Amino acid sequence: MSATATDASALRPRKPGPSGVLIAGLAAVAAFTVWAAIQIEFTLAPLITNFTNGWEIIQEFLTPNWSFIFRVWEAWVETVAIAIVATFVGVLVGLIFATMASRVTNRSNWFYRVVKVALSMVRSLPDIAYVLIFVALVGVGSLAGILALIMFNIGIAAKLTAETIDAVDQGPLEAADASGSGTISRTRWAVLPQIMPNYLSYCLYIFELNIRASVVIGVAGGGGIGSVIDVQFSRFEYANVSAIVVAIFVVVMAIDQLSQYLRRRFV
Amino acid sequence: MSTANLTQRPDVTPAKRPTEPSKTRSTLVWLGLLALVGVSAWLSGARWSELGSLFTEGWRYFLLMGQGLVHNPFSEPYSEYWTLAFDKMMESVYMAWIGTLMGALISIPFGFLAARNVSGRVTVQVSRAFLNLIRAVPELVFAIVIMLPILGFGPLAGTVALGVGAVGTLGKLTAEALEGIDMGPVEAVRASGASKVSVLRWAFWSQVLPEVLAFWLYRFEINIRASAVLGVIGAGGIGSLLSQLFSKREWEQIGITLAVIVIVTVLVDMISGAVRHRIIAGSAKSERRIQEETVAL
Amino acid sequence: MIELSNVTVRYPNGVVGLDDVSLSIPDGQFVVVVGLSGAGKSTLIRTINGLVPATSGTLSVDGSEVTGASKKQLRAIRSRIGMIFQSFNLVKRTTVMNNVIMGALHDVPWYRSVLGLWTAQEKELGYTCLERVGIVEKAWTRASQLSGGQQQRVAIARALAQNPTVMLADEPVASLDPPTAQMVMKDLQRINRELGITTVVNLHFLDLARAYGERVIGMRDGKVVFDGTGADADDAAFERIYGRSLTADDVLPGRS
Ligand SMILES: Nc1ncnc2c1ncn2[C@@H]1O[C@H](COP(=O)(O)OP(=O)(O)O)[C@@H](O)[C@H]1O
Ligand SMILES: [Mg+2]
Repeated sequence: MSATATDASALRPRKPGPSGVLIAGLAAVAAFTVWAAIQIEFTLAPLITNFTNGWEIIQEFLTPNWSFIFRVWEAWVETVAIAIVATFVGVLVGLIFATMASRVTNRSNWFYRVVKVALSMVRSLPDIAYVLIFVALVGVGSLAGILALIMFNIGIAAKLTAETIDAVDQGPLEAADASGSGTISRTRWAVLPQIMPNYLSYCLYIFELNIRASVVIGVAGGGGIGSVIDVQFSRFEYANVSAIVVAIFVVVMAIDQLSQYLRRRFV
Repeated sequence: MSTANLTQRPDVTPAKRPTEPSKTRSTLVWLGLLALVGVSAWLSGARWSELGSLFTEGWRYFLLMGQGLVHNPFSEPYSEYWTLAFDKMMESVYMAWIGTLMGALISIPFGFLAARNVSGRVTVQVSRAFLNLIRAVPELVFAIVIMLPILGFGPLAGTVALGVGAVGTLGKLTAEALEGIDMGPVEAVRASGASKVSVLRWAFWSQVLPEVLAFWLYRFEINIRASAVLGVIGAGGIGSLLSQLFSKREWEQIGITLAVIVIVTVLVDMISGAVRHRIIAGSAKSERRIQEETVAL
Repeated sequence: MIELSNVTVRYPNGVVGLDDVSLSIPDGQFVVVVGLSGAGKSTLIRTINGLVPATSGTLSVDGSEVTGASKKQLRAIRSRIGMIFQSFNLVKRTTVMNNVIMGALHDVPWYRSVLGLWTAQEKELGYTCLERVGIVEKAWTRASQLSGGQQQRVAIARALAQNPTVMLADEPVASLDPPTAQMVMKDLQRINRELGITTVVNLHFLDLARAYGERVIGMRDGKVVFDGTGADADDAAFERIYGRSLTADDVLPGRS
C-alpha cells in the first residue's frame, strides 16, 4: 500500500502555489496597512486607559433630556423641509444629467466623455465640502444646506440612473430610431418608462440619505437639527444632544419604513 | 401616394373605442408633490433672496479658487499649499483604510450571527436590531459622543468612528450575501461529518468571500468621503484643514485643497474599482447586482 | 418606389452583408424576402431605412437618396418608413396608445412629447391605427399585458401612425405561434391592399412566402439568387436559395 503511494505520488500534480500577482497584491495591502496605521498613530490603548474620561460623558448620554426634543420642533421641520426641496431639485437635475451620461441616450462621444468626467468630479467632493462652499457664498442657514445637498444629490442620482439607462432593453430605442424620432422624444418614450421603477426607488433612497445627512449639514452651518446638535454640544449639554440623537434614530427608521412601503406600493 | 385614406375609418365595423382613463389622479399627485415642495421651500427658512448673490458675486470666489490652481505649484507659497493639502488628504485616506479594515473584521462575526441560514431566530433578530441601530446613527455622532472624549482630538478618533459606522452596513450586507449562497455545498460538507466551524469556513465563507471583499472596497471609497466630515469637528484629515481655510476665507488655498480632494478621490476610486472588477470577475455574481445591493451602503 | 443599384454593405468587422444588390420595388408591391439565417435579409431591410449605411452603390426611397443623406434628412426619410421587428420592440411599461403615438413623434414638438400632451388629432390617429389592426379595445392597457400576437399588432399600428409610404418587417412572425402568425400576415396583407403601402417582409418559412408574396426575393450570402412571383418559387427555386432540398422544418407547422 505505502509502496504504491510513493510510486503514484510522482504522477500527482503538485499543489499550485498562489499566483505571483496575488502574493504581490497581498504584500502591498499589508505594507499599506502598516504604513497607514503608523501615520495616524493607530492604537486602541486609550479605549481602556481613558475610559473613565468618556464614562462621565457617556453617563450623561444615558439620561437623555426627552423634553428637549419637542422644544426644538422648528429645527425638525426645517430638516425635513431641506431634505424635500433638495431631493426634488437634485433628482430632477440628476435625471437630465443621467441621460447625458449614458451612451444609450447620448450619441455624441465627446459630450458623453465631458459629462462623465464632470459628474465624477461632482461626486468626489464630500457633502461637507459643498456645505462649506455654500455657507461661504450665501451665508449660514438653510439655503446653504439645500444647495449643498442638491449638488450631492445630483452626483448620486445621475450615477445610479445612468447605470440603469445603460442596461435598458434596446428594442424600443431601435423602433424609435427607425421611425425618425428626435433625441428628446426617444429618451422620453423609449427609455424613461423602462427606468421608472428604479429611478423612483433611487429618489426615495436619496431622500433617506438627505435626512441622515442633516447632522453633517447643521454642524457645518447649513441649518436644521444638526445646528441644534452643534450648539448643544459646544455648551456641553450632552443630555440634550443624546435626546436629539435618539430622536434622529427614530425619524430615520420611520422614513426607512415609509420609503419601503412606498417602494412596494408604486415601484 | 395612396396613404391619404389612412385617416378614414376602416371599412370593417370597428370594436367600440375604450374611454381614456381619467388623468385626475396623476394630476393630483403631481400638484400635491409640487405643493409639498413649495411649502417645504417656505418652511425650510431658507433666505431665497440670497440666491441671486450666488450669481452676482459667487463667480468672483470661483475665479479666486481657480487662480490658486493656475499659479506655478512649485513656487512659494503655492508648493506649501499643495503639499499641506496632499498630506492632509492622505491622512483621510489612511483613516478611511484603517477604519474600514477595523469595521470589516468586526462585521464578519456579526454577519454570521445575522444570517438566517446560519444562526437561530432569536440571535438573528437581536443582531439585526443591533446592526440597524449602528446604521441609523451617523458617524459624526459616534465621533462626537464616544471617540472625542475617550480618544481625544485627532485622526484616531475619526478612524474608530468610521470603523464602528462600517460595522452596521457591512454586517448587514455580509448577512444578506450568506443568505443568498447555494446550500448544496453546505449539505455536502455537513454530510461528511465536518464540524460547525469547518462548515462555516469552507461552505459559507468561501462562497461569499469575493462579494464581501467587493463590499469592503466600496465602503472604503465611501469612508474617504465620510472622513472629510469628521475633520470638521477636529477628528483629523482633510476636513480640519478645509474648515480652517473656509473660516479664514483663503480662496486660493481652498481651490488647491478642493482640487487635491478631487484628484485623490478619483484616483482611489479608479484603483479600488479596478480591483473590485477583478475580484467579482472570479465569482458568479454580476457586477450589476453588487452595485444594486451596495446602494444600501 | 425603392431603388437599389449595386448596393454593397460591408460591416466594420469585414463581413459582407449585401453583395452588389440591385433591386427595384414599385409602389404598392408586397415583397417577401426569404433566405437562410445570415443570408442578409435583415441587412437589406435595415439598409433601406438607413439603420445600416451602404458601403457603395446608391439607394433611394420615393426619390430621396438614403445613401449620403444628412442626419436630419435621414430622420425625415425614416419618418415615412414604418418598421416592424421580430421582438415587437414595444415599450412594455406604458399604454398601447402611447406606444402607437410613438410612431408619430417625428412631428410632435419636444415639450409636448416630454409631457405626453397629445392633441385630440394625435389620439384620433392612434385610435384609427389600432382599429386597422383590430385591437382598439386595448388602447389604454399596458403593453406588457398583451399576448405576443397582440403586441405585434400594436407594433404594426405604431408603424401605421407614421403615415408611411413603405413598410419594412424583419421576421415579424418568427416569435409567434402558427395561427397567430397567419393572422399577423393577413393584417399586413390587408393594410398593403387597402392603403397601398409598399411592403417588404422578411420570412423564414417558405410556405408563408408563397402564400402572401406578390413577389418573392431569395437571398443567399448577401446576393439576390431568386426574384419572381410566389408561384415561381417552386422546389427548384428553393434549392437555389437554401442550397438543399425542402424539409418539413422549412414550412410552418400545422398548415400543409
Ligand atoms: N452588426 C453587424 N456587424 C457585423 N456583422 C453583421 C452585423 N449584422 C449582421 N452581420 C453579418 O452579416 C451577415 C448577414 O446578416 P443578416 O442580415 O442579419 O442575415 P439574416 O437576417 O438573413 O439572418 C451575417 O453573416 C451576419 O453575421
Ligand atoms: Mg435577420
